[in-house]
Amino acid sequence: MGSVRNNKKAIAVFILPAAILFIVIIIVPIFMSAYYSLLNWDGMTTGKFIGFQNYVNLFTDPSVNFMKTLWDAIILAVFSVFIQLPISLGLALVLAKGIKGERFFLSVFFIPVLISSVVIGQLWLKIYNPNYGLLNAFLKAVGLSKWVHTWLGDEKTALMAVIVPILWQFIGYHMLLLYAGVKSVPKELTEAAKIDGATSWQISWNVIIPQIKPVIRMCIIFAVVGSFKTFDMIYVLTNGGPAHASEVPSTLMISLIFGRNQYGFGSAVAIIIIALCFIFAIGIRRVFKVEED
Amino acid sequence: MKKKILSIALCLTMTAGILAGCGAKKDSDSGDKKTLTMWSIATEADNMHSSYLKAIEEYEKAHPDYKIKFETFENQAYKTKIKSAVAANELPDIFFTFGGGFSEPFAKSGKVVELDKYYEKYKDLLPEAALKNQTYDGKLYGSTFTTPVSMMFYNKAIFKKNNIEVPKTYDELLNAVKVLKKAGITPISTSVKDTWVLGMLHDGLTLKSAGPTKLQNALLKKDGQSYNDPDMLQSAKDVVELKKAGAFEDGATGLSNDEAVQPFLDGKAAMFFTGSWLGGDVNNKSYNKDDFGVAPIPVVNDKNATLGDFMGGASDTLMVAKSSKNKEVACEAAFEIAKNISKNAYLEGVAIPAWKIDYDDSKVAGMTKEIAGYTTKAHSFTLWFDTLLQAEDANKYLELLEQLYTGGITPEQYVKAMADQLDSTK
Repeated sequence: MGSVRNNKKAIAVFILPAAILFIVIIIVPIFMSAYYSLLNWDGMTTGKFIGFQNYVNLFTDPSVNFMKTLWDAIILAVFSVFIQLPISLGLALVLAKGIKGERFFLSVFFIPVLISSVVIGQLWLKIYNPNYGLLNAFLKAVGLSKWVHTWLGDEKTALMAVIVPILWQFIGYHMLLLYAGVKSVPKELTEAAKIDGATSWQISWNVIIPQIKPVIRMCIIFAVVGSFKTFDMIYVLTNGGPAHASEVPSTLMISLIFGRNQYGFGSAVAIIIIALCFIFAIGIRRVFKVEED
Repeated sequence: MKKKILSIALCLTMTAGILAGCGAKKDSDSGDKKTLTMWSIATEADNMHSSYLKAIEEYEKAHPDYKIKFETFENQAYKTKIKSAVAANELPDIFFTFGGGFSEPFAKSGKVVELDKYYEKYKDLLPEAALKNQTYDGKLYGSTFTTPVSMMFYNKAIFKKNNIEVPKTYDELLNAVKVLKKAGITPISTSVKDTWVLGMLHDGLTLKSAGPTKLQNALLKKDGQSYNDPDMLQSAKDVVELKKAGAFEDGATGLSNDEAVQPFLDGKAAMFFTGSWLGGDVNNKSYNKDDFGVAPIPVVNDKNATLGDFMGGASDTLMVAKSSKNKEVACEAAFEIAKNISKNAYLEGVAIPAWKIDYDDSKVAGMTKEIAGYTTKAHSFTLWFDTLLQAEDANKYLELLEQLYTGGITPEQYVKAMADQLDSTK
């Protein structure tokens, strides 16, 4: 066994299939998109090379309003980090303490992650339905008819209405990661703190959370990057509408490429999404490193 | 032990899957029949589905050497799929597409076959006027089968109960809306989330305000006709006026087409403006089809337009890919199958035929025959905005219409923005 691990040729042979797949499916398309983003191309006829004009248009063309989509993604990222993650962390801490029915609750909270986004989207469409939806029916029942809304059809509420299911969907995912982190904190540490007279709140705050910082860092990266590339739920619920009120970069990309036949322009959006995800992932890593030093 | 059983079960299902895959492949290879692949949006949920199946069956019977492999996709997803297929040159032999601006890049890309010489044979059965939307730069690129048009569907029972005559002019329509609103009935059900549904009403009113020539010139950017014109402004104002009068239900911005149609079919809304295909749904899906009536969209300005001007036309198209291995046969099949679909869809009462009726149609369902009666006497056909316009303009148009509805822009700003958009892509 050891000899195989030291054999460079063997390593190469074993890595090769995955490496080829990775290059062909991920790396090559990124470079192809980068090239397409420099073209004025409808996706069918031959494209015309126009340099960085697509990127310039992206930030100057008012009919595209790319900054608004970025802003929406940032709002989603902020909500994910400051609302979704604390809830996940809270659940993880409580569950990891070994309450009754720990496994049961773990599974229940994780179910939304397992269900397809399209199914969840359909579910929430029914909740938000202006005529017979659960939400409006509830508001009417408790005498808050004033608050009844066309949640997904109103420019003022559409963005919040799509953010709520997205947050809800991934609470379980982050909870599971954090739960695993909390469970791996050595028992000696918490027990020592307990002997010193720490309350369970103090144990969580001063012992467990510092210990699981790497996991929290990972969760924040996932939450932020996920916010910038979020697509499926918004596509199902509003498709970016009404009047771009809930548009994010990825839905804009789809509507540019397949709605308006601007393949080159859409590719520019794709490249910016990739770049932003990289920048944020690396940036968050840096911030945490600085704190550790 | 449990794990072991599970893993064995998984192995078995996987092997079964692989074997099943092999088996299926073998089947399709067997026999000397040549296969033509055909794509369309007539999924099982589509009311044209059985017309397609029958048409293909009839074709296969008449051409025993060929087999049609029929594949269907959901409408919205198909629009994406077909564009990618053209880009990647992976088109099937015959494929469904939409006429007008949507397919213009396909024709320009040089990946679909010009059909002029195949059309010669069918000239007597399929009028050349019906193929306007499949013709690009004077060359024919597709065959067609049905002539959908925008109509005003209404609930006879509700109209009778409230003593309302079927509106023939916009003022009568507005009046009817006010009466119905007072009686506590949703006057017009529509979807703004699927903005094309509202477009059916808006396009119709615009046509009935500006007339076919002016409207087509504006949309096709001909003769210097601008969209920023008092006649276009009038229809935009009318939509806003109808909304203010409470014509549409409150949640229309959040409803999809399906969610908007249902209240109408259930008799909870009085009117629905959409394409003639709803006639098929009324025949098949409503509880009491005798309650429903159909009429042309009311006239806004009788100096420019009449009840006989229609929004719509033969947009459904079959095209043939240049990459097809059996091009000659496929081109002929595109016409033969289109002819069969035209006949079957009409006989089933789900669509208005584009081909001449050379068969017995006495059993066709009432509403469909009624619409066919209107279209045979039509003065003009103008394709819907979002089909006639090229993709970028069409997209912007739907967006602006949505904003007009929600009050984000005024009718004046709307026509100005439309004119600017059309100018920018001239």
